[in-house]
Amino acid sequence: MAKVSVLNVAVLENPCPFHSPFRFEISFECNEALADDLEWKIIYVGSAESEEFDQILDSVLVGPVPAGRHMFVFQADAPNPSLIPETDAVGVTVVLITCTYHGQEFIRVGYYVNNEYPNPELRENPPQKPDFSQLQRNILTSNPRVTRFHINWDNNTDRLEAIENHDPALGCGFPLSCTPIKGLGLPGCIPGLLPENSMDCI
Amino acid sequence: MKLLKPTWVNHNGKPIFSVDIHPDGTKFATGGQGQDSGKVVIWNMSPVLQEDDEKDENVPKMLCQMDNHLACVNCVRWSNSGMYLASGGDDKLIMVWKRATYIGPSTVFGSSGKLANVEQWRCVSILRSHSGDVMDVAWSPHDAWLASCSVDNTVVIWNAVKFPEILATLRGHSGLVKGLTWDPVGKYIASQADDRSLKVWRTLDWQLETSITKPFDECGGTTHVLRLSWSPDGHYLVSAHAMNNSGPTAQIIEREGWKTNMDFVGHRKAVTVVKFNPKIFKKKQKNGSSAKPSCPYCCCAVGSKDRSLSVWLTCLKRPLVVIHELFDKSIMDISWTLNGLGILVCSMDGSVAFLDFSQDELGDPLSEEEKSRIHQSTYGKSLAIMTETQLSTAVIENPEMLKYQRRQQQQQLDQKGSAARETGSATSVAGVVNGESLEDIRKNLLKKQVETRTADGRRRITPLCIAQLDTGDFSTAFFNSIPLSGSLAGTMLTSHSSPQLLPLDSSTPVPFGTSKPSTEPVAATGTRPAGDSVSKDSVNAASAPAAPSPSILTTPSKIEPMKAFDSRFTERSKATPGAPALAGLTPTAMESHGCLCLCRLKEQSLVKELRPRDVLESSSDSDEKVPVAKPSSLSKRKLELEVETVEKKKKGRPRKDSRLMPMSLSVQSPAALTAEKDAVCLSVPAAALKLPMPGPQRAFTLQVSSDPSMYIEVENEVTAVGGLKLSRLKCSREGKEWETVLTSRILTAAGSCDVVCVACEKRMLSVFSTCGRRLLPPILLPSPISTLHCTGSYVMALTATATLSVWDVHRQIVVVKEESLHSILAGSDMTVSQILLTQHGIPVMNLSDGKAYCFNPSLSAWNLVSDKQDSLAQCADFRSSLPPQDAMLCSGPLAIVQGRASTSGRQAARLFSVPHMVQQETTLAYLESQVAAALTLRSSHEYRHWLLLYVRYLVNEGFEYRLREICKDLLGPVHSSTGSQWESTVVGLRKRDLLKELLPVIGQNLRFQRLFTECQEQLDILRDK
Repeated sequence: MAKVSVLNVAVLENPCPFHSPFRFEISFECNEALADDLEWKIIYVGSAESEEFDQILDSVLVGPVPAGRHMFVFQADAPNPSLIPETDAVGVTVVLITCTYHGQEFIRVGYYVNNEYPNPELRENPPQKPDFSQLQRNILTSNPRVTRFHINWDNNTDRLEAIENHDPALGCGFPLSCTPIKGLGLPGCIPGLLPENSMDCI
Repeated sequence: MKLLKPTWVNHNGKPIFSVDIHPDGTKFATGGQGQDSGKVVIWNMSPVLQEDDEKDENVPKMLCQMDNHLACVNCVRWSNSGMYLASGGDDKLIMVWKRATYIGPSTVFGSSGKLANVEQWRCVSILRSHSGDVMDVAWSPHDAWLASCSVDNTVVIWNAVKFPEILATLRGHSGLVKGLTWDPVGKYIASQADDRSLKVWRTLDWQLETSITKPFDECGGTTHVLRLSWSPDGHYLVSAHAMNNSGPTAQIIEREGWKTNMDFVGHRKAVTVVKFNPKIFKKKQKNGSSAKPSCPYCCCAVGSKDRSLSVWLTCLKRPLVVIHELFDKSIMDISWTLNGLGILVCSMDGSVAFLDFSQDELGDPLSEEEKSRIHQSTYGKSLAIMTETQLSTAVIENPEMLKYQRRQQQQQLDQKGSAARETGSATSVAGVVNGESLEDIRKNLLKKQVETRTADGRRRITPLCIAQLDTGDFSTAFFNSIPLSGSLAGTMLTSHSSPQLLPLDSSTPVPFGTSKPSTEPVAATGTRPAGDSVSKDSVNAASAPAAPSPSILTTPSKIEPMKAFDSRFTERSKATPGAPALAGLTPTAMESHGCLCLCRLKEQSLVKELRPRDVLESSSDSDEKVPVAKPSSLSKRKLELEVETVEKKKKGRPRKDSRLMPMSLSVQSPAALTAEKDAVCLSVPAAALKLPMPGPQRAFTLQVSSDPSMYIEVENEVTAVGGLKLSRLKCSREGKEWETVLTSRILTAAGSCDVVCVACEKRMLSVFSTCGRRLLPPILLPSPISTLHCTGSYVMALTATATLSVWDVHRQIVVVKEESLHSILAGSDMTVSQILLTQHGIPVMNLSDGKAYCFNPSLSAWNLVSDKQDSLAQCADFRSSLPPQDAMLCSGPLAIVQGRASTSGRQAARLFSVPHMVQQETTLAYLESQVAAALTLRSSHEYRHWLLLYVRYLVNEGFEYRLREICKDLLGPVHSSTGSQWESTVVGLRKRDLLKELLPVIGQNLRFQRLFTECQEQLDILRDK
């Protein structure tokens, strides 16, 4: 099971000017002491069209993490406006907070972000070239989108290999025989996750 | 019979694989598939039972949901006590849940609804052993064992008293094991598997009793579960899916000879689940009919893949009721209420049905006594299982013992009462950590959180621990996390202890008074106390729940891009997995890394310049085009680093403590003496140990004690009599004064309630009584004095060449003779941070590395009595042995020397899940070293305290040999013999009195009643003599 679960993410100072840093207060719970640090990232999606315009605002290691409930504030600078396509500067985009353990992403928290001119005049007649100093960033805090991924929490890659190399005859292929039955249980499952689940079966 | 399908009990349409009603009937658990994980939900029962409650908005329906299982949950089962819930799933894990009381309601973050968890159920144990999906779990009667079965073909028996201990792994099935049931009297456990067999195992030796195959010969392995059940009277075992004449049945297996002559027939498809009603019934006595004694009977519910449910009474040939088309898919699990009148059924289609029977339909349930009478008459003593925890049935052999036991019970009752009172207040402090409310902490979190830099220049935040994972009592969070293994994060931890301590606790002691310049530079380079990276200090970190802008989701043009974002929320970005897309950062990281090296060099020479910062700035200029680089904050951090270092030095001011003499005796080579005060030469040749000497002063005053108030005043070279200069020593004590003169200048003075001593030039040491009478001719010291100290009638002199002497001036004997500190100071850059002389004349040296040594005169050797880095102290957990009233309020030399280290260690242990065995060993070792240290320091009070603790721990954990040895030593020979070496006292305490004190403690564990009786009797003999 997941050793770390996110209890809450509070968006601090929202809304705020476009150039203000992002600040998230993250509370999480860990049910077993972690051997290594967690890595958190804030990713700003510059354009819905392409991941090309994603900006990793910052990444930070968090540790040591003993069992228990913890919190910290993750602050990252505002995105670099020069990397945002001009057509996407104003309007709705997304900011993502991801956490990885041993390089495997296990949670992704996404928020819609609305960038707009608070000044009604500018809103009516936005300048040709976006004026970032006038833009206000508003994170839709009420509706976080949380996606959890299953990862291998134990650092025992050797054990995994051992099972993989295991004589298939002895294993009786038990995970396979039960998969079709379980398949019924997963109609709503996101297709992208299926390989993850089968990973766990190994 | 009433039938109800509470539609609100669902897993959002996902299948529900298991259902179980809590023994107290107020709630039930369901397990199954969640959104992308396994899901366990605890529901309120009353809305199922009563329509009014179902309609009442204020009555919660869902109490708690846990999505911790990675994959589908196949089984949920409450323990018989109702305290625990066990769940097993496709993630191969069994989780044991316990209700947590100290944390308020919470939500599953990001779950669409604002459903608060009314109750908090926390995973207290994760049981890993199975290599495949866990299909069924079952608690034994009496809750001593938990059994689990899996598609890995095994059944595992867990010790439910000591999770995650495995008592046995039952191997023998050659197919997926899909169901388990315990014999109600605890003699057997039965399992059914896809290998077309049902096996019965003995609990006595966990060996196979019988394997039944015949009724299953025709079965195909097509059911998801095979939940079999044992009748409450123990007579019958009913299997799931069996075949009789190519028709699906539920096979009845008789306990007597495991005969298979009967079955429940009628279902059109395989039987997935059989569940006996927990009650045994007898015929309802109708008015008028003769009260002829009828045979008691059982009631059984059978669920099948054909989506129908049948309920049978063992006294009837035909089913009591059959309900067809109850669900759209196969029935997966059945649970009876404890009163035997209600039944919950769940299905693969994700719905749950509730059936409510009346007593007219089922009969009169037998009371628990009648039920156990049946058990007793059939099986003799029904307690086939007697575990260590059930010693209550053991025979008490001694009336004294009985008395203690009774007293103990009374005390426990009293304690429970007070505990109940306390829990009320405990919940109210739940939001408070170390006196600070969670709100206060949150406000300052950004400023206070510890942020460091790793060797490769990455930011690293130490998260603030706001609660421990402990379902028991509420305890304040422990902010410092001490790693068990030093290798946790390599260089990061070099100076772990000080910078990692969050400054939340204002009373955090500065370790022994003085700043330790020798470690400071290392600390600075090792961890980069970067502080907060706030670029604008004016920003208020308080969370501001802002009103969402109304326009955000309304404009139609904005909806299109949002759809485009959908994948971004759920799919792992290509950029993120593995080594992060930090390519853009690399140049910066490289630069700062190089800079770190430079800093290190600089700091080694203790010259602080701003050059490193200049380098940073120039490098950041070139990086301006890199989007993620943060030049300003980087340079800022460097500045802050410097400020921090300065601040730290300020903090390290010595603490005032009347009993101690805080001082910093740096070990300095003669050449370094002139250097900066803080500087410590790192390479002191061991032979040239030299301690600082007090220089001659014109005059000085010294307060010896405040109660009674006593001052010593010294004036050097005051009067000249015929060219001779005399020094005056003046002492005032509670208003009374005396004066005396000495011929040479007085360098340092010390005093106690019994003596006053002064050290003069020319290595002279003079000692006076409290009235100013000279007690001894001057003592000639081997070298100039460094530190002088008095306690009681003991005088301790530490000379500049690091030799130590202690005299007892009343008895006029030497206690410690010119002992060199060489052995404890040798080899490194350590300094003596504190000196203590106990009332028994034992000198204790606290060193800058956190170790403390005392000189043991009888062994003529230095003993290590305390070590701040002692990992034993951090792992030891003897809280259970702590007497409730005195919460470590034991003071004495050992407590002074060890400071708060001992308490913190105790708490630290709770943060780590250490195997019980290891914990036991470390705790024993730690307690033993504490007892020995107290003994060496001749601190009788502390010796008694630690001995009691140690014995209590031995008793609790059941260590007989050590306990016996202690008792033997304390008791001594009952019949005195001349050759006996036995001493009747230890550090001034009478050993036999100590033993008398220990006896009630020993009496707490019935296992030691023999030892208790032995000691008691012998003490009685001794008293009579």
